[in-house]
Amino acid sequence: MEENANPVYKNDAFGQFRELFYTYGQDGQFQKNVGFHGEADRTTLQQAWDLFAERIEEARQKVLAGKASPIAYYMEKALVNTLDLSMHTGISFWRVKRHLKPKVFNRLNEKDLAKYAEVFKITTEQLKHVE
Amino acid sequence: MSDNIMIAYTHRQAGHCESGATSNLFNFHGIAMSEPMAFGIGNGIYFSYLPFLKLQFAPMMSFRNLPNTVFHRSMKYLGVDATVIKKFKDPKESMDALDRNLEKGIPTGCQVGVFNLTFFPPEYRMHYNMHNLVVFGKEGNDYWVSDTVMELPQKISYEDLQRVRWAKGAFAPKGKMYWINKVDKELDIKSAVEKGIKKTVYEMIKVPFWLVGVKGIHVLARDIKKWPKKHGNSTASFYLGQILRMAEDFGTGGAGFRYIQGAFLKEAGEKFNNAELLAASDMMGKAANRWRDFSYIGARNCKNRSKPEEDYGTLGDMLHEIADMEKAVYVKLDKIKI
Repeated sequence: MEENANPVYKNDAFGQFRELFYTYGQDGQFQKNVGFHGEADRTTLQQAWDLFAERIEEARQKVLAGKASPIAYYMEKALVNTLDLSMHTGISFWRVKRHLKPKVFNRLNEKDLAKYAEVFKITTEQLKHVE
Repeated sequence: MSDNIMIAYTHRQAGHCESGATSNLFNFHGIAMSEPMAFGIGNGIYFSYLPFLKLQFAPMMSFRNLPNTVFHRSMKYLGVDATVIKKFKDPKESMDALDRNLEKGIPTGCQVGVFNLTFFPPEYRMHYNMHNLVVFGKEGNDYWVSDTVMELPQKISYEDLQRVRWAKGAFAPKGKMYWINKVDKELDIKSAVEKGIKKTVYEMIKVPFWLVGVKGIHVLARDIKKWPKKHGNSTASFYLGQILRMAEDFGTGGAGFRYIQGAFLKEAGEKFNNAELLAASDMMGKAANRWRDFSYIGARNCKNRSKPEEDYGTLGDMLHEIADMEKAVYVKLDKIKI
C-alpha cells in the first residue's frame, strides 16, 4: 500500500485510491487515464468532511449542555438528518423531531430505543450517554 | 449448494458505475461494447437541480439519470432479453435469488448503498444509494464483486452484501438486481444510437420543466449569484462545493459525465462515418473542458471559505456560458440524421 500511496498526499487517509478519468485534448481525442484525484476535487471533499466534523462537535456540546437528546449527537455522527433518520428507523418524522428533546427522550420506551440503537450500530445503554 | 463458484467475468475499471457494469455485462455475453457506448445508448447524461431537497446539507443536483436507467434503456433500445427485479419483499429471499443466479453462471448486477460498503474508500462513505456493482462469484461466506469504480475485483461477506443491498433512506435499493439472459441475434446498434440520442435531446432541452436539463443549469447559475448574500460566504462556498462534488468526485469520469457523453458521440461518429456527430463530440468535449475550468476556479472559493477569491457573479456567468455551449450540442444533435 505504501508504494502505491498517492505521492502528493502520502500521509492522508483520503485520496488513496485511483479512479478512471476521461480527458479531452487539443487533438480532439478522448483519453482514458487511471489516476488519483487532483487537488481541486480533494478540497471540496475535505470541505464536506470538515463540515460534518463541525456539526458532530456542535451537537455533542449541545447534548452535554442538556439542550438536546443524545439522538441529536448520534444522528450527526451517522451523517443523517431527521428525515433520513425517520426513513432508517421507520419512526415518523414528527416523532423523530420530538425525540431530539431531552425531556421526551427520557420517557422513550425500550422498543423505540432499540430501533435507534440498531441504526446507529450501538447498544441502548450507549445510546443514553454521550462521551 | 456448492460453496465455491467463480464465473469467468472480466472486471474492467470504468468512469461511471452503472454504464461500466452494463458494458462489462455485454462483454461477458460476447458483444464488444465500450463504456461510453453503453452510457450514450442508455442516455445516462442528465441535469437536474432540486434546491428544495437537501443532500448532505446542501441543495440537491444530479448530473446523471435515475438509477438503473442506463441498463434498462440500453436493453430496451438494443432489444436484448434481460431481467430486472425491482424489489424483493425479504432480504433473505433476495440473497437466495442471487445465489441461484450464480449457480446458473449468470453474473448479476445489484443496486447498493455505499455507506456500509466495506471495501470503499473512507472519504466516499456517505448515504448514497444509487451505486451499482456486479456479483460474479462466491467463496465460502464471501462474494466476489466487480465494482467498476475500483481497480480490482473485491470480496465482501454475505452479511455486508445483504446490508448494502438493503440500505435505507432515499432511493432505497430494496435488493434490486438485474442481469442479461441471453444475446442470440445481431444487434442493431445504429437504431439504438439514434433512439438514445433522441431521448437524450428530449431530456436535456425539451422537457417542459424549468429545473431539468439545460434550463436547470441556467436556474443554478442564477442562484449561485444570490448565495453569498442570502446565506453568507461560508454556506455559499459549501453549496458551491456540492456542485463540484457532484460533478467531479466519485465515479463521474470527470466533468459530470460530459466527457463520457463526448466519447460516445465520437465513437458513434467514427462507427457510422458521420461528420456531424464528430463535430458534436468536439463541442461536447469543449463544454466538458469548460466544466473542468469551472471546478478548478470554484475550488479556490471552497479552500478559502470565509473570503471568496472568485466573485460568485463570474462563476454564475461561467455556468450560463456552459449551459449555452451544451444547448448548442443538443440543438445540433436534434437535427442529425444518422
